[in-house]
Amino acid sequence: MDFVTMNILESSMVSLCKEMGIVLMKTSYSTIFNEALDFTCGLADMNGDMIAVADYCPAQIGGMPLLVKSCLKEIPIDEIEEGDVILHNDPYRGGLHTPEHTFFKPIFVDGEIMGFAVAIGHIAEVGGMAPGGFCGEATEIFQEGLRIPPVKIKKRGKDNIEVWKLLLANVRTPRVNYGDLRALIAAVDLGEKQMTQIYQKYGKQKIKETVNDLLLYSERRMRAELEAIPDGIYAFSDKIESDGIDADRTYTVAVEVHKRGGEIIVDYNGSSPQASGPINATLGVATSAAYNAVLHMTDPTIPRNSGCFRPIRVMAPPGTIVNVDFPAPEVGGNTETHPRIVGTILGAMAPAIPNRVMAAEGATHCNFVFGGVDADTGEYFACYDLEAVGWGGRAFADGNDGVDSINGNCRITPVEVYETRFPWRIESLAFNVDAGGAGEYRGGVGYSKQMLCLNDEIICSQMTDRHLLAPWGLNGGTEGGVGATLVMKNGRQDWQTMREAYGKASTSRYSNVSIRRGDRVRLVTPGGGGYGEPAKRDPAAVAEDVREGYVSKAAAQRHYGYQEA
Amino acid sequence: MKFSLNGLYIESYTKCANCGVLIYEASAEDSARKKVHEGSIYCSKECVDWKLDRDARRAKAAI
Repeated sequence: MDFVTMNILESSMVSLCKEMGIVLMKTSYSTIFNEALDFTCGLADMNGDMIAVADYCPAQIGGMPLLVKSCLKEIPIDEIEEGDVILHNDPYRGGLHTPEHTFFKPIFVDGEIMGFAVAIGHIAEVGGMAPGGFCGEATEIFQEGLRIPPVKIKKRGKDNIEVWKLLLANVRTPRVNYGDLRALIAAVDLGEKQMTQIYQKYGKQKIKETVNDLLLYSERRMRAELEAIPDGIYAFSDKIESDGIDADRTYTVAVEVHKRGGEIIVDYNGSSPQASGPINATLGVATSAAYNAVLHMTDPTIPRNSGCFRPIRVMAPPGTIVNVDFPAPEVGGNTETHPRIVGTILGAMAPAIPNRVMAAEGATHCNFVFGGVDADTGEYFACYDLEAVGWGGRAFADGNDGVDSINGNCRITPVEVYETRFPWRIESLAFNVDAGGAGEYRGGVGYSKQMLCLNDEIICSQMTDRHLLAPWGLNGGTEGGVGATLVMKNGRQDWQTMREAYGKASTSRYSNVSIRRGDRVRLVTPGGGGYGEPAKRDPAAVAEDVREGYVSKAAAQRHYGYQEA
Repeated sequence: MKFSLNGLYIESYTKCANCGVLIYEASAEDSARKKVHEGSIYCSKECVDWKLDRDARRAKAAI
């Protein structure tokens, strides 16, 4: 191995992936891209193996290899021409969920295909039953928006107009979608252009050899990390509350992690049969979640590519909540079930590597989606809004406060942007006191966001979790706080759940409620579980929590024996 | 996974009964590797063995 060239090439490719993301951020129309950064840009070789990626969205990073490989099973490599751009979002053939659109463009050098520039992004509005793509009550895929098999949206550098027309005729916000789709194409255009220059600089053979070395290097480093973990079979399970259809039923995510030498096999056998509602994960999600969990447990400096995934295998039985069969709904699998799977794997591994795991996090993206016709402009608007949660305490630190769930790495949209783009006024946004589980290291806290409706009507839907089942603590830490979604209708003085106000089956998963001018909505996000016995917490840290408002005096006295100075 | 004769739509999704990967009817590699065991389709012998090992281990633990 030529380590110098390998490092230079790896850094160049990762920088290029970051730059692709910046182009996407700066040229897109939706807040989900230009504020939340719910996308990922990467590079793949001609077999579909990921060779470089930037640190954007872990769900998409882990999903990328299966996505590209699945497309290549359907579009033979000899049918891909220079200037083509392939688009895909089908959850049942490698995809993550319907909103996640994958674009990839071949990189040709001297007439030979060398690999692909890849961009995956969450399109905020995809048609279907509910504005914003997250129908909490969907019972089949056809209610969740337009499903796109691998198709060429550009052929030899020219737009495939028929595909564009079909795409834009099936969504509520064609102007915005057009801008976002163009931004994704701009990202892969940049990736293709600059990677071609890198090939021309170093030569095809040198890059082929160096990329092979790079993948092998990542694989070896991952195997070395895994070898340091004691061999064994580690089991754990967790519950998901409701599927939006049967509010009182829970669904099990079960894992057995088989650690053998330098490899890990994650077996989900024992997980619940697939649900009627949209909490099911696809195979891509189940695979990505296993990768995500292992990346969180191992050295973060290992280069992210398909090499470091080689020692990880996934067993996801079909027809279950971790590997949905057609035509069951799936949109919440990528946002809600993915973090629950990661938490379950971390819980399983806690006895083996207590210093590298955390207690349960909020494990939801809140997924409050809405749409309507703007009274001022007459244009249809739609928004996918994600909110942050508290993370679990760790063996060496408190959980993070108000951070996007473990598979997102996204930002929340600033209040000023939110109010400018959509007809809501944000009346308050504040951390929830006492929402972090108590422990030697407390869980992070979630927050509450209160919004006033300024439009005649906004149609709202949601796909969230942890309204009933609290995030668990670890090693003596206590549970974190649960979330809630509440509405105060104009003229009333009381807050109601969506079940109470609109007769919905679930408080956390529902679709198409009509919020009227003057109504208020309050989103409360869950906290994280605590880690370690609360009695061992540093009294100075308890006093600081009380002073800063994270913990009330009453809770501090109850959990930590706090005495005011 | 089986496509229609004209290749325009999917007629059936076939997944490994153990690991859940799609098994493509048109793929020579997938066809060569796949195994049928007790009426279920598996992507490989390795997955059949994994399923049998798991069943045996869990049966033993249940005693």
